[in-house]
Parts: sequence; structure tokens; C-alpha cells
Amino acid sequence: MQSLTWRQRLSRLDVKLSPYLYISPFFLLFFVVGLFPLLYTAWVSLHDWHLIGGQGEMIGFANYVAVFDQPNFYRALRNTFSIFILSSVPQIIAAILIAYFLDTNLRAKTFWRMGVLLPYVVAPVAVSMIFSKIFADQSGAANALLAMFGADPIGWHADPFWAHVAIATMVNFRWTGYNALIFLAAMQAIPREVYEAAIVDGARRWRTFFSVTVPMLKPTIIFVVITSTIGGLQIFDEPRMFDTMGTGGADKQWLTLTMYIYELGWGAQKSFGRAAAVSWILFAIIVVIGAINFFITRRIASSGGKGDL
Amino acid sequence: MRRTFRTLAALASAGALLAGCSGSNTTDPDAEGSATGAAGGEQITLSVATFNEFGYEELVEEYMDLNPGIKVEHKKAATSNEARDNMNTRLAAGSGLADVEAIEVDWLPELMQYPDQFVDLASPDVEGRWLDWKTEAATVDGKLIGYGTDIGPEAVCYRADLFEAAGLPSDREEVASLLEGDWDTYFEVGKDFVAKSRGVAWFDSAGATYQGMINQLDTPFENTDGTPIPLEENEAIKDVYSRVLQASVDEGLSAGLAQWSEDWTNGFQSDKFATMLCPGWMLGVIEGNAKGVEGWDIANVFPGGGGNWGGSYLTVPAQGEHPEEAKALAAWLTAPEQQIKAFQAKGTFPSQVEALESPELLGATNEFFNDAPVGEILAERANAVSVTPFKGPNFFAITTIVTDALTRVDVDGTDDADSSWQKALESYSALGLS
Amino acid sequence: MSRMSGPMAQQLVGKGAARAIHRRERQSFGVNKRPSWTTYAVLVAVLLVSIYPIYFTVLLASSDAATIARNPIPSLVPGPNFFDNVSRVLGSDIKFWTALANSTIVAVVTSVSVVFFATLAGFAFSKLRFRGRNGLLVFVIATMAVPTQLGVVPLFILMSELGWVGKLQAVIVPGMVTAFGVFWMTQYLRDALPFELIEAARVDGASMIRTFWSVALPAAKPAAAMLALFTFVGSWTNFFWPFIILGSANPTLPVALQLLQASYFKDYSLIMAGVVVATLPLIAVFVVAGRQLVAGIMQGAVKG
Repeated sequence: MQSLTWRQRLSRLDVKLSPYLYISPFFLLFFVVGLFPLLYTAWVSLHDWHLIGGQGEMIGFANYVAVFDQPNFYRALRNTFSIFILSSVPQIIAAILIAYFLDTNLRAKTFWRMGVLLPYVVAPVAVSMIFSKIFADQSGAANALLAMFGADPIGWHADPFWAHVAIATMVNFRWTGYNALIFLAAMQAIPREVYEAAIVDGARRWRTFFSVTVPMLKPTIIFVVITSTIGGLQIFDEPRMFDTMGTGGADKQWLTLTMYIYELGWGAQKSFGRAAAVSWILFAIIVVIGAINFFITRRIASSGGKGDL
Repeated sequence: MRRTFRTLAALASAGALLAGCSGSNTTDPDAEGSATGAAGGEQITLSVATFNEFGYEELVEEYMDLNPGIKVEHKKAATSNEARDNMNTRLAAGSGLADVEAIEVDWLPELMQYPDQFVDLASPDVEGRWLDWKTEAATVDGKLIGYGTDIGPEAVCYRADLFEAAGLPSDREEVASLLEGDWDTYFEVGKDFVAKSRGVAWFDSAGATYQGMINQLDTPFENTDGTPIPLEENEAIKDVYSRVLQASVDEGLSAGLAQWSEDWTNGFQSDKFATMLCPGWMLGVIEGNAKGVEGWDIANVFPGGGGNWGGSYLTVPAQGEHPEEAKALAAWLTAPEQQIKAFQAKGTFPSQVEALESPELLGATNEFFNDAPVGEILAERANAVSVTPFKGPNFFAITTIVTDALTRVDVDGTDDADSSWQKALESYSALGLS
Repeated sequence: MSRMSGPMAQQLVGKGAARAIHRRERQSFGVNKRPSWTTYAVLVAVLLVSIYPIYFTVLLASSDAATIARNPIPSLVPGPNFFDNVSRVLGSDIKFWTALANSTIVAVVTSVSVVFFATLAGFAFSKLRFRGRNGLLVFVIATMAVPTQLGVVPLFILMSELGWVGKLQAVIVPGMVTAFGVFWMTQYLRDALPFELIEAARVDGASMIRTFWSVALPAAKPAAAMLALFTFVGSWTNFFWPFIILGSANPTLPVALQLLQASYFKDYSLIMAGVVVATLPLIAVFVVAGRQLVAGIMQGAVKG
């Protein structure tokens, strides 16, 4: 009798505590290696903190002042956004178009789908090594191809804009197919009746695409934009590997914010304080953009009816 | 604050254990190494970390044969930059460095700020072993933190075939007397060459040439007390900057290929330039990049006299467990006899006085460079080095700024000399040194 | 690490719509006829763009330095030196074998661990009742938007304190469970695991963990396989953190790869051979499980 109560009690405890136990690894880990370091970054950013020398005095906002005083900070900011826009806008447009062509009654569907996804399994470092060879200013395949058509060579490394295009191309190479599959899934989820109605109305295929498909994809587009914002603004691998030095070019024409964080913390200045300051600034930027995205999503969700959790 | 981290560290360890991931011993070579050292009682394991090519492979074996109680593990990083990052990271972490760590002269000054992190290597046994300037550069407050390994005495490497095609003398003695003189002579001959050759430049880049020129300045960027010379007031550097760009761009002597870039590598195969300033260790680089190209040779001459570019040291980080044994190993590796063997294996040019006079060294030739007597030539170039530039803790940061300025004009063509200099001044003030 | 978003996107935005797929066999809209040749032409062009850079790598990897230097656009026929170049990579200073072993250990341990902990948490979130469940789940989802890479400085200091700099656990432990994984398994188990099964197990007197082990884990298999795949790919291609914390002394493959490019003299046939051998394992995974990857990205919604 008594042992049964004991077992019951144990069983009740099991039911009560198990859920918390099961979800605890995530929260524990997120707190220790995710949230805490992020918040602690703010603390480090207020100190004179050297890579080797360690923690120094609290110096208030001096690191921020120093960073805002560095022309490289603004270059990194410009480059990061420029690369981000060049990699997200064309990528989303191309992905939707590819999805549109995949969303037909193809033979060997899986073959085509796998084909567009292939670049996804090539590591960004490898992608960058391949493309930095293709985009070499004097000896690269891209300029050789242009020369065949009688065009002038492009300064893929020398010119900031073209350097951004080259780096964005690497990102696009790896992610366009992946996003195309997301859009494809979203397109397939559009109720068939909607199309049928449009066809009955006599709408042409392309008209249907613009007037029916694209509007219905809006929530997916916004979602892809949000996730690519978080990843894209932290871009490091591709620009780091774009030349041998990994410092973003002589004029810092492709230095990104994350590269700048690395450069400040582990490069010539060895200043964890400044690196942390830039991290925190980038974090603030991402939060603001995330918030803007969120409000847009909310508006669309309330007007369109989709996009809720 | 440390306590916060300790607590978190404990938490994280607990998490790792919980996850059954306590297997650090199976995944980490470092841990394994020290474990054997401790468990073996008499047996001690020492690790040596180098980069690029030190030529230590066989020496390490030899040392183990001579000292049966010691096992030596040799770890190699690909480049000096990689080794530097690794060194900084591990110094910051307070653990994980090898017992003997190789460092390069360009980032030696950064480490000299932390003499406590290194074992004092000074000892009567090794006194007078190296060229004076080599030892001086690694001495701080009477403490010697590194034993010299190699040096980089500079000569001029050139393409005999391209010289010939342009109607210039191509024999290495003739070329040496043709180029004998200062930088102006070197550039004048270059103008002559470029005028006669079709589309071949005189040298690879402004940056590389600048490197050769600043290595002849006593105090390129910093006063000997370590205080930086404001770039704006640094007339010597401004002169070098202007002269190099005049030669490179206005006189069209540069191929505009940034050193180590894809295009530079490619330039060796497509005959883009005819000369290169070459320290001893560059011979292997040229040979590697120019594989299959015939015509490279080396002349016993250097504009403005002598110059040294690069060279390394062996240090013993204080965090190691066996400082005495590590010190003995470093001393043995950097002894003249061993450095000569390293030179024979990989061409790293010794920094030891005695080695510079040894017949093995002086008799060495290099097949790729048309069987040139490279040992003799480089030994003479080493003796011609008269200036040891003072390189302080900020050398690396400032010289990078100036090199970037040159690259913008010479390689990228996105700035002219003046606007690029203005940007360099901005970057300098952003360093916040003064 | 950066953008494992496909299935998630579906789950977030296409829930109701996804059920629509489930209801009917998908066909081309309007008519059931085959698409015109232009569609195929466009798709062939897309495929060529996807494949050419990879083929370009193989071409360079089978050539030699001098040929590469003279021909910016390589000839379309591979050269004879592929195996030669590969064996040079394997024997080079970049510690290829160490890197391969490290990458494998990290990717496998991370994948197994993510699947296990994510399924555990997913089981709790989808099937067990507890105070604060919804709030905590929303919190988990919200953390997916946190750019944790920006905490790199304190994380590095933390790893220094632990003495983990240069050791594999410094890379493994932070990736042992992900918000995405928890969310993914929660969504899946919500539909795939009937309450009746759990009830039955409980009535038989099974403890919670036993129920999880014998009922939830088997039910989670299909989604778990996909999650493992994505985690594996993500881990294999990860660079930033391993680059900082491991360095060249004890590298993973991407870290070792960049050493090839950073060396003093560059032989592109060697570099590209390195790219090929480092990518080959993932290509193999892709050939075997590419279908699942495609399905993972697309069908996440079905179980929403």
C-alpha cells in the first residue's frame, strides 16, 4: 500500500517535472552560449579589453566613439548593406522565376529540383575559392569571357561595386536554388481554384503570374527576406576568402561588418572592446530591421489572413 | 567578472557531460600529447610549431635519436599569418601553445610587449651565435625571447630570357654590375628595359618594391623608444611612397600585381614582369609559382646596398610544462650545424655567424635559377646588410596602411598618389596611436 | 548556422495552404499537359549555372598550374592530373586527414545530439502539458532570430576560461541543440504522434522517458532524418566559429581549405583538388539523400 503511494508520487513527479527536464537542454545551452555572450558583449564594449592583455578599465563609450571615428566602420557598413541588397533582391526574383518554371507538370520533377539545390552542399569557403579565381581581375574566366565579346575587363576586386557583385554572386549561387524550392512549395500551396478563376477570366499565363502568384507569395517572400537579413548582414566567409589577405581589399572595398569585428578583435588592433562595440551596433541594426520586418509582416498578415503562427 | 565565466564554464561542462560529450581525450591531439608526457614518467613530449618551410623534418628525427627520453612533435601551419593568428589566440587563451613556437620578425614586436609570456633564452652558451642585429631585435630589457633561425638577405631575381630579348645583358655578373647603385639606378635600367620590351613590366608591384626600400630605413615608423612617428610628419616614408609610385605608375615599371594575389601568381606564368626583389626564402616561392618557366636567375646586387626581408625565431612560451627541455631543443635546432642542414633541405638562409662561412653553405647552387651559386650570393648579400630597421609594436599596423595606399594606386587604379595618401593619413589617425 | 529556413518558412506562412497540398494530388494549374520546350530550356540553363562552377573546379583540379595560368577559361575536357593532384592534397601540410576526421566527428556528433535533444523538447512541447508551455515555445521561436554569431567575443573568452580553445568540443557544444530543431520536431510530432499511443504506453506503466523512447522517438523518425541532414550540411560547411576557435592547428575541412589558398605560392590545380575532396563527402550525401533535402525544404508544411 505504502509502496504504491510512493510509486504514484514518483509517477506524478515524473509527469510534472519531465517536460521541464526535456526542454531544459535547449534553454541551458541557449543561455550559456547564445544569450549570455550576446548580452555580455555590451559589457565588454564598455571596457578597454585586449585580446592578450585581457580586461582593462571601464572606459564608458570610448570604444563606440573610436569606432564611429574610423572610416573603415562606415565602409564596412556600406559594403555589408550593398552586398546584402545585391544578394537578396536578385536572388529572390530569380528564385521565384525558377520556382515558377519548376511549378509545371515536368517530367523527372525530382531531378530538376535536386539540380537547382546542388550548390547548397558546397561550403561557402569552397564557393568563394572557386569564384575568386573566376573573378580574378587580370587572369579570371569572367573577364576572359567578356573579352571574347569585345567588352572591357571589369575590376572585380579593384572596384567596390563590382567586388560586391562578385561576392553577392557567390551567395546567390549557393542560395537561389534553395529559396526556389521554398517558393515552389508555397506556389503549390496556392489553391487551384484561384488559378482556375483567373483562367476562366481569360487571363494570360504571365498576367496570372503577376496578378495571382506573386501576391499570394508575399508572406513567403517576407519570410525569406527576414531570414536572409539575419544571415546576410553577418556575412563573413565569402568576402573573407575573396582574396589571399582576407582583409577586405586595399581600400576596404569589400570589408564587411563581421570581418571588421574579426579584424578589430583578432587583427592589428587586438581590441576586444572595439570588436564588441561593433558587434553590439550590428546587433542593434539587425534588431531594428527585424522590427520593421515584423510590422510589415503583421500588416500583411492582418490584411491577407496568412502569416500567423 | 572571472567568476561569472567560471560559473558559466562549469555549467557548460555539466552540459557537455550530460550530453555524453566528455570525450575530450579522444578528439584533441594536444591533450593526448601532454598526457603521454605525464604518464611516461621519464619520457617527455615536446611540441614544436613552425610555419611555411623551416626544413626541420629530419632534424626533429635526429634530435629524438640523440635524446631517447624526449619525443618531439612537429606541427606546421601553412603561413606566417596563420601562425600569428594562432599564436595570438592561444596566448589569449593562456594555453594550447606548443613548447617551442616559431615566430616571424614582422610580428615579433607585437609579442615583445608581453615578455612575461616567454621564457628568457639568454645563456652564455649561445652568446655571439647570431648576427648582432638578429639578436638585438629579439631582446627586450636584457631578456632574449627568441633564438634566430633564418634571415632574408635580399638580392635581385630576374628573367635572363626577357633581359636578352630586350637587348640587355643577361649574364648574372653583368646584370649585377648593370644594377649596381641606388634605387634610381634600378629604376633607370627599368625604364630602359620597359622601352625595349613589348609589354613586360620591370617589377611585380609597388608594394614589393616599397618593402625593399623601407627595410633600409633605420626607423621606418617608430622612434627607438617605441613611440610612433605620425605618418603625416614622416618625410622618409612619404619620399619612399612618392618615389615608388613615380616609378610604378608614371614611369610604368610596375606590372600592378599585388603580391600573393591570384593575378600575381598567374603573372609568373604569363611573363608579366622581369625582375623581383628576392630574399632567400623567396627563391622557393618563385620556383613554385613559375614551374615550367625557364630563364629565372639571381644577381648578386641589391639597390641601395643590402636589405633584409623577413626571417624567424624560435621562442619558448612560458605556459609550457617543460621550459628547460624546450629551451635546449630550441638551442639545438638553431645551432649553426642544424641551420645549415635546414638550408640544404629547404633553402632557409641561416642567421648564425658561423654558418655564413661554412663551405656547405657557400657551395650551394640552385638548379632552377640557372645553377646560380645562391649560397655564396646570399651570404654576400647578408654581409651587405648595414641597416636594421627598428620595428616596434605598431609596425605591422602602419606598414599595412601604407601598403594598402600603394595598392590602391598601383593595382586597383582607384586613386591617385595624393588621394590615396590622404586616405592613408585617415586610416592612421583611426588607429588612435598618438 | 545562417539560414536553415526553408521548412520553417513553410511552417510559418503556409500552414493552411500546405494542408491543401495534402488534400489533393498536385498538378500543373489549369491543365494537365506537359510544359513547353521553353520551360525545359530555361531549366537546363539554370542547371548549367548550378553545375558549371562545380565542373570548373573539377577541370582545374585535373589540370596543372601552368596550363591553368595560360587558359583563364579551361577547356571542357578534364586533364589527366586529377588523382595526382588529389594525392598531393592528401599529403600536403594542411592536415587533410585530421580535418576530415574533425569535420566528421563534429558533424556526426552535432547531428545526433541535435536530433536527440530537439526530439526530446519537441515531444514535451507538442504532447505534454506543463505550465508556461506556450510562452516558452514562443521564446524558442523568437531565439531563431537572434544573431548569436555577434556574441563571438564573450564566447571566445568563455572558451578560453574552459581551456577549450583549439579543441573540438568548443565547436560541438554550442551547436548541440538548435531552436530550429526544437521547433521543427514540435511541429512534426504534433501531427505524427497520436495521443492514444502515449496514453497506451502510460497505462502500461511506462515512465515518461520510456514513453519518449519507445513511442515518440520511433514516430519522429522521418522528420529526425531530415533534421539530421540539414544539421550535417550546416555543420560541415560552417566556417566562422571553427576558424576563430580551432585555427590551423586542429582544423575542420573549411578551415584547412582556406590554408591552401593562403599559402605563399599557389598552385590552382592543388587548391581546386582540395575543394573537390572537401566537397565530395557532401556530394555523396546529396546523391544518396538529395531527395530528402528537397522534401525537407518543401514539405515541412505538410505536417504543420
